[in-house]
Amino acid sequence: MSIDVWGAPDSFLPSIADSLLFWFLLSRPRKPSSLLSHYPSSFSSSSSSSTAAAQRFEDSSCDSSSMPTVSVKWQKEVFPSVEIDTSQPPLVFKCQLYALTGVPPERQKIMVKGGLLKDDADWATLGVKEGQKLMMMGTADEIVKAPEKGPVFMEDLPEEEQVVAVGHSAGLYNLGNTCYMNSTLQCLHSVPELKSALLSYTNSGRNNELDQYSHLLTVATRDLFGELDRNVRPVAPLQFLSILRKKYPQFAQQHNGGYMQQDAEECWTQLMYTLSQSLRSSDSSEASATVKALFGVGLVNRVYCAESSEESFENESVYALKCHISQDINHLHEGLRRGLKYLTVQFVRFFWKRESNQKAKILRKVDYPLELDVYEFCSDELRQKLQTPRQTLRELENVKLGLKVEDKKKEHEVNMPTSEGSSNDSTEPSSMALDKGDDTYQFRSKLLILFALMSTAVSSEDKGQLTGIYDLVAVLTHKGRSADSGHYVAWVKQENGKWIQYDDDNPIPQREEDITKLSGGGDWHMAYICVYKARVV
Amino acid sequence: MVGPFKNWGLGEGEEGAGYLPSADDLLALDIAFTIYTKFEDYASALRIALFLDNTQYVRQIYTSTEDLLLKKQFSYIIARHGLVLELDEDIAPDDDDREALQEIVNNVKLSEGYLALARDIEVMEPKSPEDIYKVHLIDGRASASSSLDSARQNLAATFVNAFVNAGFGQDKLMTVSSESSSGASGNWLFKNKEHGKASAAASLGMILLWDVDSGLSQIDKYLHSNDNHVVAGALLGVGIVNCGVKNDCDPALALLIDYINKDDTIIRIGAILGLGIAYAGSQKDELRIRLSLILGDPKTPLEVLVFSAITLGLVFVGSCNEEIAQSIILALMERSDAELGEPLTRLLPVALGLLYLGKQDNVEATAEVSKTFNDKIRKYADVTLLSLAYAGTGNVLKVQKLLGYCAQHLEKGETYQGPAVLGIALIAMAEELGLDMAIRSLEHLLQYGEQNIRRAVPLALGILCISNPKVRIAQGLVHLGKGLLTLSPYHSDRFLLSPTALAGLVTVLHACLDMKSTILGKYHYMLYILVLAMQPRMLMTVDENLKPISVPVRVGQAVDVVGQAGRPKTITGFQTHSTPVLLAAGDRAELATDKYIPLSSVLEGFVILKENPDSHDDR
Repeated sequence: MSIDVWGAPDSFLPSIADSLLFWFLLSRPRKPSSLLSHYPSSFSSSSSSSTAAAQRFEDSSCDSSSMPTVSVKWQKEVFPSVEIDTSQPPLVFKCQLYALTGVPPERQKIMVKGGLLKDDADWATLGVKEGQKLMMMGTADEIVKAPEKGPVFMEDLPEEEQVVAVGHSAGLYNLGNTCYMNSTLQCLHSVPELKSALLSYTNSGRNNELDQYSHLLTVATRDLFGELDRNVRPVAPLQFLSILRKKYPQFAQQHNGGYMQQDAEECWTQLMYTLSQSLRSSDSSEASATVKALFGVGLVNRVYCAESSEESFENESVYALKCHISQDINHLHEGLRRGLKYLTVQFVRFFWKRESNQKAKILRKVDYPLELDVYEFCSDELRQKLQTPRQTLRELENVKLGLKVEDKKKEHEVNMPTSEGSSNDSTEPSSMALDKGDDTYQFRSKLLILFALMSTAVSSEDKGQLTGIYDLVAVLTHKGRSADSGHYVAWVKQENGKWIQYDDDNPIPQREEDITKLSGGGDWHMAYICVYKARVV
Repeated sequence: MVGPFKNWGLGEGEEGAGYLPSADDLLALDIAFTIYTKFEDYASALRIALFLDNTQYVRQIYTSTEDLLLKKQFSYIIARHGLVLELDEDIAPDDDDREALQEIVNNVKLSEGYLALARDIEVMEPKSPEDIYKVHLIDGRASASSSLDSARQNLAATFVNAFVNAGFGQDKLMTVSSESSSGASGNWLFKNKEHGKASAAASLGMILLWDVDSGLSQIDKYLHSNDNHVVAGALLGVGIVNCGVKNDCDPALALLIDYINKDDTIIRIGAILGLGIAYAGSQKDELRIRLSLILGDPKTPLEVLVFSAITLGLVFVGSCNEEIAQSIILALMERSDAELGEPLTRLLPVALGLLYLGKQDNVEATAEVSKTFNDKIRKYADVTLLSLAYAGTGNVLKVQKLLGYCAQHLEKGETYQGPAVLGIALIAMAEELGLDMAIRSLEHLLQYGEQNIRRAVPLALGILCISNPKVRIAQGLVHLGKGLLTLSPYHSDRFLLSPTALAGLVTVLHACLDMKSTILGKYHYMLYILVLAMQPRMLMTVDENLKPISVPVRVGQAVDVVGQAGRPKTITGFQTHSTPVLLAAGDRAELATDKYIPLSSVLEGFVILKENPDSHDDR
């Protein structure tokens, strides 16, 4: 501690500074009278208040009352032998301590018997003893002030802005076994083209062929998607559910007083069908039917009879393509007549077990890649079309990743067919890597693949060309052993590339690695419907 | 001290009592006490005196020896137990000696010892909440909120930071500002909302735990803030810093007492709760007088009333103080129906129960009175009183009674089964066998019980196995004090139960019975009450001048050797370490050298070592 009197921190509190200098001297273990003679000048130069103080001091020094010496502990320091002039108010003592510690008197807290030392307390009643230890608290630190502009908390924002901050949209409340619907909606919600198509759908825009419930269901879908985008907290899809149940009464089936668990695929198909009906532009030309453009599938079915070697082609145009495999049909080749923007794959995990009249679930593990190359499944015609864009894509990727990646890419392409299991004209009908099931479901358990495909007949020209390579954007999974129970959950890739698991009202961030682990073969969630989005160049 | 008795009877008296029915066990302990005193194993005798909660015996032990070093060891044991003891001239005639002893009893050097341990283990480096969350391993959710502050996340970070860096005196959020001029601490403080700021300011107290000298001055600046929440938090922080540490100047009392009658509710709560934490178990009469006035004032807001009662419960824990019981009972009777329906009101019976914590039959009169309470709270109060009065006794009959409550089907709106479940755990936690049986019963409750029972089961498991990895759920605060602290109220080979520690745990657990309206609502600072149970789980050996010395010790799983013939091994699967060393749950340590003789037969906390004159150790 510096004893330089004039260098003491007197810049603080100018009003008491001069008196302080004076009282500082007291704290040193010397006779005050001797000090007085040393520094007479400080009195004469001081302001009126300090003169008064000095006056008082002179008075007290005359009567030379008891001056107990105490030791003061401040933080880790101990100041031994500080004299207290008991005839002066404690403020004087505090000023002594100010000189020692630099803590301004009004911020000093000195613990004495019965509480803090007050500025106007009477020493006599406090009973300070010689050699007593006092404790002082306080710092000269700046008092913490609130920043002028407080931080903005996410919880205070309007919900629209919170959505941006959170990075994903809201969950949906389960309204009693409605996870099939919630997961379906979340998957469809991830398709921006569908959203924008719905947005342009007006309340009055219903055309004559459309029945009222289809119209209402479309409006409800539109409103619900809008709500999902605006909210952070989970949304209750009450309106949507009630209309869905009116339109499709099978979803209102009850069992033991509660609504029954339903098949997500059925919900998916029905909803898709309704939207395909309603989202037609008024000119009702084929090409402008939005859902058809997005999800419509053109098929070439080649049915081959092994016995007679007869062969027939069937051209189909459906919103969802189902390929059933049975004993009678040996070959089934699916071709994709047109390019697709989105590709939906359904793993038919549920089937009717005839022996026991039960719905059963296939638990078999079916791997699926994050990046799907459908080149093998394409018809020759389409392959031709895809050639050029694929080349472009490859080149682009090479540029992007450097030359080294080229090898990798090749390797990747070699791996793809094996991971997907089959080539188009093999005798193995399934295109997914599903081995033959147990004897019970040897044939029926074959994966039926539903390609609900979003064609880009229009958009491919506008927005770039398809490459036949698809990226996984959403997975709808089922968890549980049997078909009538368990839980559906949607796993959706957000625009920022993060995956979110929508477990009803609870969105949970997930890692990409975990998405491929949903391939089944255990009791964990397993993929039921996958949505792939086309990569364009 | 190292007489034959120690060899053939090590610990048998105290542990054996656990196998006797009640009433007999007290008798056995009394005899054990006499024997220990007779054979001059005073440290063991002191343990029994503490178990019996008999201050007379404690004083008797102090006066029966002249050995100052031994008295210092007694003081260490008393300090760990949390007993507030004013040493007088009979105990230590010499002023300097008395002061030295009192300093140990007052835990003044606890912070120093703890930091020495931390330095030895090399964990001084402050940890940030992100280190604990291990954000780098979860890429999915890492940077989601980098641009915006979430008040909820920040509050969580505040608590994580406080508990992880508890007692270390430095962290990365609150204390950094003093070095870097940017004032980051101010920033962090104001990154919390409203009462969140209170918890943030109070977290400083947790970080500077036990370090009264520098802790108080760092908190001081927040007391001058113009934000009431910050002031309230600072007041609570002052209390937390002083938790378990006593000082002649009574800084906490001096600082806080003026605030308890301020107008602002949160400031009052901060000051009152701070006093409760600082003076838990001290039975300070001044607090009784001041807080009883608040209890008696019908205009006192309910929150302030509840926290006053809790504070009185903590300060007078296990005192059976009739006057305070009366004040709380009156408060319970006078409050309106609506107020009694508030979830917070349920803490009033807890406060009442704390007064009788572990005092068994003494509760009966009060329990009778509680039968006249309003319907809404009657049964709740009854069960709470019963469970707290028999906490840590292992009384099987009471466990059965509480199990009976759990088997009942509830009328709508009744909530007493939660405390009943907690009560089973509190009573059964006393000894290992009962503990295992209680865990099994709780599993049944979890499967077959009603919802409010199932909700309390995790809490019950938590208290049964606190700071013991045996049950997963008890691992909640694994990072507490970077792993150097335990919350277990049991010490001295699970023989002694620290009443203040248990009181703190019980209060938090009861608050947790209705998470939404307490801990997850605006009373999150109640979590800081856990500080009462926080103790370093260390073995620190000190020499005759109380300077730490490093000696080899064997640390292993404790073995129950009651009734075994000869000199069975007391630990199994041991490893040899050198002190200071951490003791895990169920661990026991023994000296691996005969160069020194420990002054306490149980090697836990601070143990004074004396050089062995007959040492054959060549080192």
